[in-house]
Amino acid sequence: MEWNTTQHVWLVLGCFCVAFAPRLIPLMFFRTRKIPNWFNEWMRYVPVSLFTALVVKDIFISPEYTVTLVNRAPEMIAAVIVIGIAYWTRSMAISVVLGLLAVFLLAMVI
Amino acid sequence: MGKAEAKSREKLPYWRRILDASLPVDLSYIPIGLACGILLNASGFNVWTTLMVSIMVFSGGAQFLIASLLATNSPMLSVILMMFFLELRYALLGSSLSKYLHGESLGFTALFAASMNDENYALNYLKFSTDKKFTPREALHVEHMTLLFWTVSNLIGSLIGSAINIDLTIVHFALTALFLYMIVMQLKNGLIIVICILSGFLAAFFMVITKSTLGLVLSTLAASFIGFVVEATIRKYRPKSGWLRSMKNPAGSPEDADEDVDE
Repeated sequence: MEWNTTQHVWLVLGCFCVAFAPRLIPLMFFRTRKIPNWFNEWMRYVPVSLFTALVVKDIFISPEYTVTLVNRAPEMIAAVIVIGIAYWTRSMAISVVLGLLAVFLLAMVI
Repeated sequence: MGKAEAKSREKLPYWRRILDASLPVDLSYIPIGLACGILLNASGFNVWTTLMVSIMVFSGGAQFLIASLLATNSPMLSVILMMFFLELRYALLGSSLSKYLHGESLGFTALFAASMNDENYALNYLKFSTDKKFTPREALHVEHMTLLFWTVSNLIGSLIGSAINIDLTIVHFALTALFLYMIVMQLKNGLIIVICILSGFLAAFFMVITKSTLGLVLSTLAASFIGFVVEATIRKYRPKSGWLRSMKNPAGSPEDADEDVDE
């Protein structure tokens, strides 16, 4: 079945609803209410946990959601390089650019 | 940041400061946005629907998922359902930013929520936690700057179609590197490092179990909650424990605004 443009528009509107609701609801909920201290302390651990989960997904999880180490050597080595660069330079731009360069070169070599 | 440097930054026009703050994400959005536009075009989206999806959904992962699901002719309901699980993690982003956006108007909150995604959240969270002068308005403009780069790249990708070939796995590493950088910035004591490693294993475990990105949500909830409980326990029973002691950085770390340190 080939989709037409009207169906694409409906699809985008549907996706907008399910994308917007989770982004909006917590912000709306805490907009005027007092945010409890324990909640803020809990949320302090969200960024590091989420970013780690995203990195693990990017490097170790295949599109079929299995753990894979095959052909991931360039990314793994480049990831270690990025961690080192980020630690010593503390520069986001340098980390991203050198990381891309590293994965590009490693993918050619390996 | 040195004082002289800070001063010269004050003199920059407002839009330049927003551009500077968002540049790493803006630049990585160019190749990824192009690739995304090309894929959407290949799965039947025209320029206008591509424009719509890049503004209204504004999420690389979600748009790639749409393109690949359309290519396999999935029913609309299942695409939207998958999307819901993929986007559920934004609830966590919103929650963790809520203390910085407390008391903003309804319209502002809705506008902010509409263009929040992983990458500009990463930028804004870092800015909010290290720069006390960073305002919600600036955060919104950082979002819109990244949105501009994303949408334009999507449109160009859609227009050139499959005329060029981009190696997606390699350009996608730009975002992985961005997240790695963010993790390194967060590693301030031993406990956070332990939670980080735990989160990695939990993420793999939950994603394999759920066969979807719902695993990201579950692992983030679990790891952050464990971190919170362990920290509270350590503070209560062993307040002098080395696990919570701040570590030194070779290049000096941006001071965390939460901890009230003199600058």
